[in-house]
Amino acid sequence: MPRAVTGILLLALLAVLVAMPRIAAGEPYVLHVLVLCFVYAIPAVGLNLMLGYTGLVSLGHMAFAGIGAYAAAVMMVDARFGFWSSLALATLAAGAAGVAIGVVCLRFRSHFFMIVTLAFGLVLHSVMNNWDEVTRGAAGFGGIPRPSPIELLGERFSFAPLANFYYLALAAAVVVFALQRLVVRSDIGRVLAAIRQDERLARARGVNALLYKTAVFALGSAIAGFGGVLQVSFLRVAAPASFSLAESINSVLIVIVGGAGSLAGPALGALLFVALPEYLRVASEWRFVIFGVMLVAITLFAPRGLAGVAADLCRRIGGKPPVERP
Amino acid sequence: MTRLVVRDLRKRYGGIAALAGIALEIERPGIYGLIGPNGAGKTTLFDIIAGGIAPDSGEVLLDGRSVTGLPSHRMAALGVARTFQECRILLEETCLDNLLFAAQRKDFVATLGQFLSRSQAARRAQRAEAMRLLQLVRLEDYAEVPAANLSFGQRRLLEIVSTFITAPSLFLLDEPASGVNPALLETLSDFIRTMYAERPSVFFLVEHNMEFIMSLAGDIIVMHQGAVLERGTPQAVQASPRVVEAYLG
Repeated sequence: MPRAVTGILLLALLAVLVAMPRIAAGEPYVLHVLVLCFVYAIPAVGLNLMLGYTGLVSLGHMAFAGIGAYAAAVMMVDARFGFWSSLALATLAAGAAGVAIGVVCLRFRSHFFMIVTLAFGLVLHSVMNNWDEVTRGAAGFGGIPRPSPIELLGERFSFAPLANFYYLALAAAVVVFALQRLVVRSDIGRVLAAIRQDERLARARGVNALLYKTAVFALGSAIAGFGGVLQVSFLRVAAPASFSLAESINSVLIVIVGGAGSLAGPALGALLFVALPEYLRVASEWRFVIFGVMLVAITLFAPRGLAGVAADLCRRIGGKPPVERP
Repeated sequence: MTRLVVRDLRKRYGGIAALAGIALEIERPGIYGLIGPNGAGKTTLFDIIAGGIAPDSGEVLLDGRSVTGLPSHRMAALGVARTFQECRILLEETCLDNLLFAAQRKDFVATLGQFLSRSQAARRAQRAEAMRLLQLVRLEDYAEVPAANLSFGQRRLLEIVSTFITAPSLFLLDEPASGVNPALLETLSDFIRTMYAERPSVFFLVEHNMEFIMSLAGDIIVMHQGAVLERGTPQAVQASPRVVEAYLG
């Protein structure tokens, strides 16, 4: 697709999303679902950088969203910090945890790496679930405030109304997707892609693979933490179940089904895995059954995920053959 | 100018001595050939010089500095570039992107700086250089084609060309001619000669194709059972009874 067309389509999509509170004025549930979609798509962007671009399949990703969420909860409720400074500090805390845990996990490769990240995810979830004094345990950490109001063009802009929080989540998602594009299209992005395709070659060409992988693990974790803070500020409660193994695997599914290693993948995946079932009110017991079937179908028929299907469709409309990948 | 010195390198894999105290000096720029029967230890020697594999004992000196057992990315930063016997390229990337990846700076701080301020002029220069090199190996029509679509011989050329673009002072080419068809073979030796004329440095080639290496290299090193058996001009080496015996076993 020519760049101009992509740009126009993106602007149109953004315009629709900005107008959504008016379009769906009578249906607040639509906004609710879209906010959920954004707060799941944001951690998925972090995982896409790791899994899709660098080839690091982490099975504990949402635990880092949990670190961000609980760090912000403690700062806001117990330490009486403001929302904005808590958001920044909690994002940094999740990134720092990413460095510390990443350095250990990245000593291992492929399936060993997956198992170690899974183990760390379980440990972190267990801490959130059981450290009653700090995390309030399995009951969840309630009373998390919405963001404090800001002054915008001389007017007070409060985030209590759903539509206004929706704008915050939309802005956060736009920033994170823009950051993803910036990283992927930079020299760093090319190094990450090289590590995924052939790490031995990358090292022979001068890439300090462990350093780059640690950096992307930290960045992915920080993005997850950022999404985690938004999630708990939206739901007003931090629950351990939001950051469990099941949620981490859900995040992997979002990335793979959406299209690992494509810029739009996390958005498409979150739309399908979070927004659609939530909107259709599919019973949660059935979700994983349906997702499982979908995952098998996608790996069999569309190995590049929904984003790949969309790209091939666009090429076909443009009269070009679909891209062949090894 | 690069000076490569290998002192008494030993490396055992299980019960087999891949390197049995090999010593070697390369003092001046040139095209050097490393030949020897299968299992002579040629690739092990390359692996140790290129970094990432530590020898059991012995030393590798580059310009008088010990570089024994350094990780391969450090060796690359010191100007050592290699190709692999099994041919390694980035299959999902286009030929052009393969070269641009090889040419770009790799140290993390530098790429982070590029992330913040990208110099368009430097990018254009790299692109032009990449296209020029692709033309030299007749891959210019494939610049925008994913490398996975290339034939095996073309992949070899792409791999070799992407080591050259890094402007190293020591090239280690592990069997560059294997799997390359006769027509491309000529392109390959022309390319190596052109590159050597452009920037004389040390070109060190492991090769089994005798015709190819004897016409290209001025100095042939023959390895046998983990040590240097013979060294000299192509004529001298081919006439040596010891070499003939090693090959006929």
